[in-house]
Amino acid sequence: MFDKIKEEYLSLMEKEKLPYTKCKTCGYVFFYPRDFCPKCNSRDLEVKISEGKGKVFSFTKFQGKKGETIYGIVELIEGFRMYANIFGDVDIGDEVVVSFINDSGRKIPVFKKK
Amino acid sequence: MTFKKYEGSTFQLLSEVVSKAMEMASINSREIDGLLFTIIPGTFDGKANVHFPSFQLSSFLGIKPKYIDVIDYGGPSALTMIYRAFKLIEAGEIETALCVVGGKGSFLRENRVTADSVDKFYNISLTPFDEFFRVYEDMNPVTDYALVAKRHGKLFGTTDEQRAMIAVNQRKNAMDNDKAIYKNPITVKDVLSSRMVSDPLRLLEIVYPVDGFHAFIVSKHQRNSNLRPIRIDFYGEAHWTEMPTEWKDIVYTPTVESSKGVNLEKIDAYELYDSFTITVLLEIEDIGLAEKGKGGKFVENTDTTYRGEIPINTGGGSLNVGQPAFMSGGVILEEALLQLNDMAKGHQVKGANRVLVNGIGGWNRGHAVTMVLEGE
Repeated sequence: MFDKIKEEYLSLMEKEKLPYTKCKTCGYVFFYPRDFCPKCNSRDLEVKISEGKGKVFSFTKFQGKKGETIYGIVELIEGFRMYANIFGDVDIGDEVVVSFINDSGRKIPVFKKK
Repeated sequence: MTFKKYEGSTFQLLSEVVSKAMEMASINSREIDGLLFTIIPGTFDGKANVHFPSFQLSSFLGIKPKYIDVIDYGGPSALTMIYRAFKLIEAGEIETALCVVGGKGSFLRENRVTADSVDKFYNISLTPFDEFFRVYEDMNPVTDYALVAKRHGKLFGTTDEQRAMIAVNQRKNAMDNDKAIYKNPITVKDVLSSRMVSDPLRLLEIVYPVDGFHAFIVSKHQRNSNLRPIRIDFYGEAHWTEMPTEWKDIVYTPTVESSKGVNLEKIDAYELYDSFTITVLLEIEDIGLAEKGKGGKFVENTDTTYRGEIPINTGGGSLNVGQPAFMSGGVILEEALLQLNDMAKGHQVKGANRVLVNGIGGWNRGHAVTMVLEGE
């Protein structure tokens, strides 16, 4: 089950869609894939597709490999949060949208200022 | 014992430290029947790992334990070792335990990786979700704590100056500690003009990884040692194993839970895990010295030096002693024990009898241990 969810995540990302998991028992939503609900332990889960819109929960700027880089946490409108790189001059609370970049032969979700 | 860079092997360094500890405790290696330790990848002469470390450590040190325990959650592991050793002795399982924490930090430091990014250097998994988490460019753990500092500032108005006060006060304590590697006085201005590493955290707010071990001997025997009998008055541990993005908020740490029920009255000194200034601020709030969000005001209005009203990190903490093998637990525990034995030369809190030690660590600060040590 865990492997299947992971594969589903990866194939959705290849199609430039941002997956998340919803517990069909208690309704809890989360990003990092597991085959049980971290809130109620139910294994009745479904992988859904996010609208990709959210707000900056926190962020930090540092000198990365290609100059100034932003790393942060984004809270999506569906209610889950994830770590990601963010592009654009942002502050906490700013609206961002998902975008996909190619990295090591994969498509990876990042966020851009709306 | 800590060194910016120890030229000998990791085993040689371990040997020196353990011999000294046994001498202080007046215990020889044949009497040690319990071994508790922690190990972090890359800290043994740059090797990715030590296979069967229980065998290697015992074999090297010439000890034949009847009890072995590996505590693997980084920073607070040292505190847990002491607690478990006490419990084992109390239960009659063993008589004397050796607890070891440390290694060499210089190899990873020179290769510009840390314990939280060791997966970018060796083929090691860091989380069960690496395909969805380790694909981003970060500088963890600095960037991770920077996210916390940034959000703490936004939610509560905590300022860079307030965090800098923590570094300034700890440096005041370090000036009178022989073990400190940084001893020149600093001001808030110095902290705020030091290099920005990961906004808002600056260089003087961040611990420096060094080489070193701490060895603690817990025994039912006093032998000829002059060390004072010490008991554990309070112990709590908490493990938040979800990703911090799934916590209620990142401005809390598991210390909220590990310190539940602790009595802060008559605590003479606080040794709080200080990987970063923000770590100390979070602990001040989470153990209850200040309400959540008021840690900034607390550090602004409180003298936290060893002569002050609420002494915190009385030897300067690992921000000034250095962080051996990416874990500060040994540094804060050693300082607590020195304080309780009236052995904190130059920075002794007068009549220290109860010391609170708090550790935070493991991957993304998911683990916390709170402990109150009291002299008998």
